[in-house]
Amino acid sequence: MAAPRPLMRAGGARFDSGRLLAIALLAGVALVWSTPLLWMLVASLRPQNFGGLDMASLWPDFTPTLANFAEALESADFARLYLNTILVCAGILAVQLATITLAGYAFARLSFRGREVVFYGFLLQLMLVPPILIVPNLTTITRLGLYDSLLGVMAPYFASAFGVFLMRQTFRTIPRDFEEAAVVDGASWWQLIWRVLVPLARPGMVAFAIVSVVSHWNEFLWPLMVVSSLDNQTLTVGLASFTMGAESASQWGVIAAGTCLVAAPLLLAFGLFQRQFVNSFLFSGVK
Amino acid sequence: MAQTALAVDSPEHGTAAPRRVRRLAGRLGADGRAWLLLLPSLVFLCLFTYWPIVQVLLQALTIETFGSQATSLGLGNFDRLFADAAFTGALLNNLVYAVGTIAPSIALALALAVGLQEATRFNALLRTVVFFPVLLPLVAAAALFLFVFLPGIGLLDYYLATLGAGQTNWLGDPDLALWSLVGLTVWKNAGYYMLFFLAGLQAIPLDLYEAARIEGAGAWRRFTRITLPLLGPSLAFVLVIALVNVITQVDHVVVLTEGGPSGATDLLLFYIYQTAHESYDYGKAAAATVVSVAILLALSLVSLRTLERGVHYEAS
Amino acid sequence: MLTKSLKLLGATGLALGVGLGVAQAQTEIEMFFPVPVEGKLAKEMQSLMERFNEAHPEIEATAVYTGSYDETNLKTRAAIKAGRPPAAVIMSANFILEYQLNDEIEPLDPLIEAEGSSADAFMDRFWPALHGNARFADRVWAVPFHNSTPLLYINADHFREVGLDPDNPPATWQDWAAAASKLVKREGGETTRWGLMLPENYDYLGWIMTALTMSNGGLYYNPEYGGEVYYDTPSMLGALTFVHDLAHEFEVMPAAITDGKAVSTAFFAGQTSMVVLSTGSLSFIRENMKDDYRVAFVPRNVRNAVAIGGASLMMPKGLSEEKKQAAWTLMNWLTSPEISGHWSRFTGYFAPNRQAYELPEMKQFIADNPDAKVALDQLQYARSWFATYNTVAVRKALEDQVQAVITGDKQPKEALEAAQENADAQMRPYVEATALKLPASM
Repeated sequence: MAAPRPLMRAGGARFDSGRLLAIALLAGVALVWSTPLLWMLVASLRPQNFGGLDMASLWPDFTPTLANFAEALESADFARLYLNTILVCAGILAVQLATITLAGYAFARLSFRGREVVFYGFLLQLMLVPPILIVPNLTTITRLGLYDSLLGVMAPYFASAFGVFLMRQTFRTIPRDFEEAAVVDGASWWQLIWRVLVPLARPGMVAFAIVSVVSHWNEFLWPLMVVSSLDNQTLTVGLASFTMGAESASQWGVIAAGTCLVAAPLLLAFGLFQRQFVNSFLFSGVK
Repeated sequence: MAQTALAVDSPEHGTAAPRRVRRLAGRLGADGRAWLLLLPSLVFLCLFTYWPIVQVLLQALTIETFGSQATSLGLGNFDRLFADAAFTGALLNNLVYAVGTIAPSIALALALAVGLQEATRFNALLRTVVFFPVLLPLVAAAALFLFVFLPGIGLLDYYLATLGAGQTNWLGDPDLALWSLVGLTVWKNAGYYMLFFLAGLQAIPLDLYEAARIEGAGAWRRFTRITLPLLGPSLAFVLVIALVNVITQVDHVVVLTEGGPSGATDLLLFYIYQTAHESYDYGKAAAATVVSVAILLALSLVSLRTLERGVHYEAS
Repeated sequence: MLTKSLKLLGATGLALGVGLGVAQAQTEIEMFFPVPVEGKLAKEMQSLMERFNEAHPEIEATAVYTGSYDETNLKTRAAIKAGRPPAAVIMSANFILEYQLNDEIEPLDPLIEAEGSSADAFMDRFWPALHGNARFADRVWAVPFHNSTPLLYINADHFREVGLDPDNPPATWQDWAAAASKLVKREGGETTRWGLMLPENYDYLGWIMTALTMSNGGLYYNPEYGGEVYYDTPSMLGALTFVHDLAHEFEVMPAAITDGKAVSTAFFAGQTSMVVLSTGSLSFIRENMKDDYRVAFVPRNVRNAVAIGGASLMMPKGLSEEKKQAAWTLMNWLTSPEISGHWSRFTGYFAPNRQAYELPEMKQFIADNPDAKVALDQLQYARSWFATYNTVAVRKALEDQVQAVITGDKQPKEALEAAQENADAQMRPYVEATALKLPASM
């Protein structure tokens, strides 16, 4: 595991003016970065105030109200939306972990004819996301009988070039000594994967899991296209109901509250487990 | 490729393996085994990536006539595409958007990673703050930025006014609108790229810095001579991801500008999306898709070369 | 008597079903609907569906929320292409033509005639302005569901402040520009209050330009043939020059693009004294506007005229006979005077069904809300909405150029020439297959 760095580097980093400037700059960037989300939080609790000029104020100079949340919750069945989104993310991830581990192993450790070509073939998928291929993909999904089903939302993502790439990198950073020892002990190739490589590659998988869940939690266009019944909608599609009105007047508080509801689970999870999240990211790139 | 498969090619002494799989794998040999492992991924890639590409290619070469079932093959769709000023405009916008987005995001992500690499509580907080936008759906981020960019009343103008600046129409001025989208994208993605740089930094041995310091190298010199070269693989990886992002993510264009004003924020994928779904000109949309796929392929071939070189470097 | 026998029939059917132990087969249908205003409309639509299903036990109708007008168009297209068409769709009224051109929707005449009615009698219940986008090419293709027109909203407090009479809002372009010049406020080089703001995002802008051109005596598309627009004309040039002058000569309107949300937010905040917005925003403004406000007709230069907006119900092709019948029942129920009036009071849209306004609760509503009456009165000057082959692209060809004029990048005349050229190119495939498809030399 990557050891935490010492607080101050040996060799005597001084708190000189350059260092203070750097800290000030970093804090400045963080301040700017956080304002839109801070505003989201403040505005979601601010009483509806049409015509107020201080809608942008980040200062909570009001009695907080949950009216915006109530209105957002009223306009969609959030329990259902959360459940569907979780099902989609979990389903995609489960299948992906299987496909990317197998393929990642093949690319990292096996030499076979056409490996280069196939690998580039895989990487094609990095670029060709469903929005580009939405019309043909929708036809395929319908032919498979998956139109308007959660499985239909998931299916195009079951193979992941990004995941295969990441797993290949991760496997490559695992020293071969482990495998050689296992082979001496009489392990078969699939035991090698399951017993030796997968446990060692877990941090890489966690990193991939985060990337995968985040991107599918946030996906909009494809679920909007595939799903038609209310029972199968996901969070982002639900959110669209109060943000994308064509002739709408502006209800910024409700938009902020709805955005909060959609983003909260991921933000909370990250806030609580950020050390694990970051550590797994840090680990995935290295030996 | 420096490494070759070694021990795995030796005969297995499987114990609990399902007999059939073992026998199949044994009969297949090394090549067959590799293909077996790739099979699950390949099935889905064929269904949802390769087959659709074939369909798009066919569609691009098929010329339809209104009100007639008869079609013919030819390059007519491409002719119409290149004659369309909106397409060349979108292409140019996308180029500006790519350069404008990628360079600052990567520079900022790199600076943040270097500045925040030490595991202090303060740094952890700042990292979290910078990473939060990554967790937000692009649709939701765009909805928030609709307010951020609101002239006069929005977040940006409200606080800029306290600094004495006047009203700005961030999304309504054709000279500014694309840069407003660039701002949103940098805000959204810099934290993501930062994580990869943090990972890369963690891999650089501390003693290299020690040695450099003993030799009297200053901070900037240490950065350019040690950090930057050793971050090569991370940089290449981030570059690929960033390139893919600028071409494949347009949710914010859909929510914020729909390509306007006067097409100033029309990006390639949004052009395709509109041509296919609003004008129902599937032939022209397919031709545009083929062009953008070709661009992506060319770009990624170049960057993947760099990536592979970086990986070698890392392995050595 | 009819209802009585129907009830009897229903009872018999029920008895038979129970007696034979056969479950009554319900016809399940789906209807796609957009929510163009606020999220709570989606809830209201669901409760309407419950009412419908209760009243029609033989049908199980589900309303599927499909996003904005554009997304609904996109999803309907996708569902039709995927071979799973919904039984009914509430579609932006100006997209209906294209579904008809592409042979993707059912003509409704057979269903009307099967009820012993005629197309004339059927259409007569709707306001005349709505006919053009519903009945064309000798058939009825859509049933108007809810409709709107652009309306001038003014801040009455601002009017009084500068000595204008809010109860006498500008009726001509001359008065309009003069009022705006009085209302605009400048401090130093900065404008702190605009005289007028127009929604200039795609779609909205096209609708506003239609209204201005019509008010200038023009009509910039051919309502009889989907392959012609008249962008490069005097009436259009006058309208666009007026818009140009508002931004650049009188400087009473921002010389940058403002979208609908920014316009309504600025109006609430008192940062603009006048706006043109849809009647669809009327309920929302009535409920939330703090300042005193009035509404008025869109001012005229040559005549009073605006285009309708809103949505109609249409029926995609490829449905079974039972589904067609069930969808037709739903479409009629949703546009009945009672439901139409209820939806209108809830949303602020017009009830397209004229009979809705004969109901006592509707008469009361109009009496209580004089602003709704203004909107209704303007309807007699309304005309059908811009619709052509490839509507969105042809509309955008104009909008891109109008935006360039507003931002000061182009002059009106050159902008219109460019718009005309681009629009002609967008319609060429249709024109070549229709008006320009001529007999070859014999």
